[in-house]
Amino acid sequence: MASKSLKNLTAPLSGNNPVIVQILGICSALAVTVQLKPAIVMGLSVMVVTAFSNLVMSLLRNGVPSRIRIIVQLVVIAALVILVDQVLKAFVYDVSKQLSVYVGLIITNCIVMGRVEAFALQNKPWDSFLDGIGNGLGYASILVIIAFFRELLGSGTLFGFRIIPESWYLAEGGFYSNCGLMLFPPMALIIVGCIIWAHRSFNKDLQEK
Amino acid sequence: MKVNTNSNTYIIIYSVIMVVIVAVLLAVAALGLAPRQQENMLNEKKTQIVKALGEDPATVAYDSVITKAVILDQTGAVVSEDVSEVFAALNDLKGSFAANRFPLFVATSGVVAPLYGAGLWGPIWGYIALDTDMNTVKGIVLDHSGETPGLGAEITTPKHQAMYVGKSVYENDQLVGITLKKGGAEKGNPHQVDAITGGTKTSDGVSAMISDCLNYYKPYFDAARAAATAEVEAESNTLNE
Repeated sequence: MASKSLKNLTAPLSGNNPVIVQILGICSALAVTVQLKPAIVMGLSVMVVTAFSNLVMSLLRNGVPSRIRIIVQLVVIAALVILVDQVLKAFVYDVSKQLSVYVGLIITNCIVMGRVEAFALQNKPWDSFLDGIGNGLGYASILVIIAFFRELLGSGTLFGFRIIPESWYLAEGGFYSNCGLMLFPPMALIIVGCIIWAHRSFNKDLQEK
Repeated sequence: MKVNTNSNTYIIIYSVIMVVIVAVLLAVAALGLAPRQQENMLNEKKTQIVKALGEDPATVAYDSVITKAVILDQTGAVVSEDVSEVFAALNDLKGSFAANRFPLFVATSGVVAPLYGAGLWGPIWGYIALDTDMNTVKGIVLDHSGETPGLGAEITTPKHQAMYVGKSVYENDQLVGITLKKGGAEKGNPHQVDAITGGTKTSDGVSAMISDCLNYYKPYFDAARAAATAEVEAESNTLNE
């Protein structure tokens, strides 16, 4: 793989991360990060959709009439999302039940359309595909970090397994209680803020003067 | 030949072809995956019914605990014993209840009735299992579509659902159901469980749902209870003779 192509894959993981640098896809990052499992599935679903919508739009880029290009993008993305939804329903039913409306909301995820519009329409299919995978992974990684803290501090579990012992809780005569605020969307926003803070203090070039 | 991609003709032809291709693709996918999806939905219902009976769905099969599935009318009489019809009625429980068609699952150790009601943000539903005395709760399964995580959504936790086990729904001959009591259930009251802290509206919805739905089945329960009592009396009569 040429180093330039590889850069399309790795840049969105940190330096050009869609969530914490481009600030895209925040709404779904708030919605599905109460637990780790749906966060991972959502991240992977978005990755598949960004990758293939980038690929398809890049293949079509020379034939798409520019006056209706947004509509064409929407149709391609919506079709891919419906396919992902149908496949999830058929093969991982309980996960699709947990994600419920959020799968449909991938259509409105700004990352997908943002990458098609900003990258796939100007670049070759293979580069666009990698860019889609990279951005999906970048998005998924942030979702996992947020979900890790929210599930651990909000419910005392990870992947549904109890991490904080039952005997620590007040109800059982202990000293600990879960942070209820972690279960609400605003806390996800605060965690995103903390991640951006930590990320920028390590990457000085991202800091605005 | 250089095609003008911005001419009206090109745009119209382009859109038509695109829409047709996408439509065919989606139709094929939907049709191809439908049987699997239906099967998943059916399995999920069966799992919940087994769970309501207090059994572990991983080890206990639906067929080994449920002896028959029936649809009752408002007098408690059986109108259908067709399993596929019963599960079809579950798909639109609200409509079935309105049409006086009440699906019920008869197990070796009791009965399982479906529940459907309103929470704070959207519908709530589930299954309640009663022992053969049609009074003691064997277990309950509750689910929801949009209750607040950590508050109303707590009704889905095993911890909450465990509180119903052993409670009774009849007070003498009155079907009172189970009430989720704000501030904690009174000690020794067999018709109350603790409401969810911060989830009062959802808790009220669950209370109303249990009492509403069980009342649909009251004629059937009453008949079963009367039959059980008659049997006991008949037995004691034979003993007396």
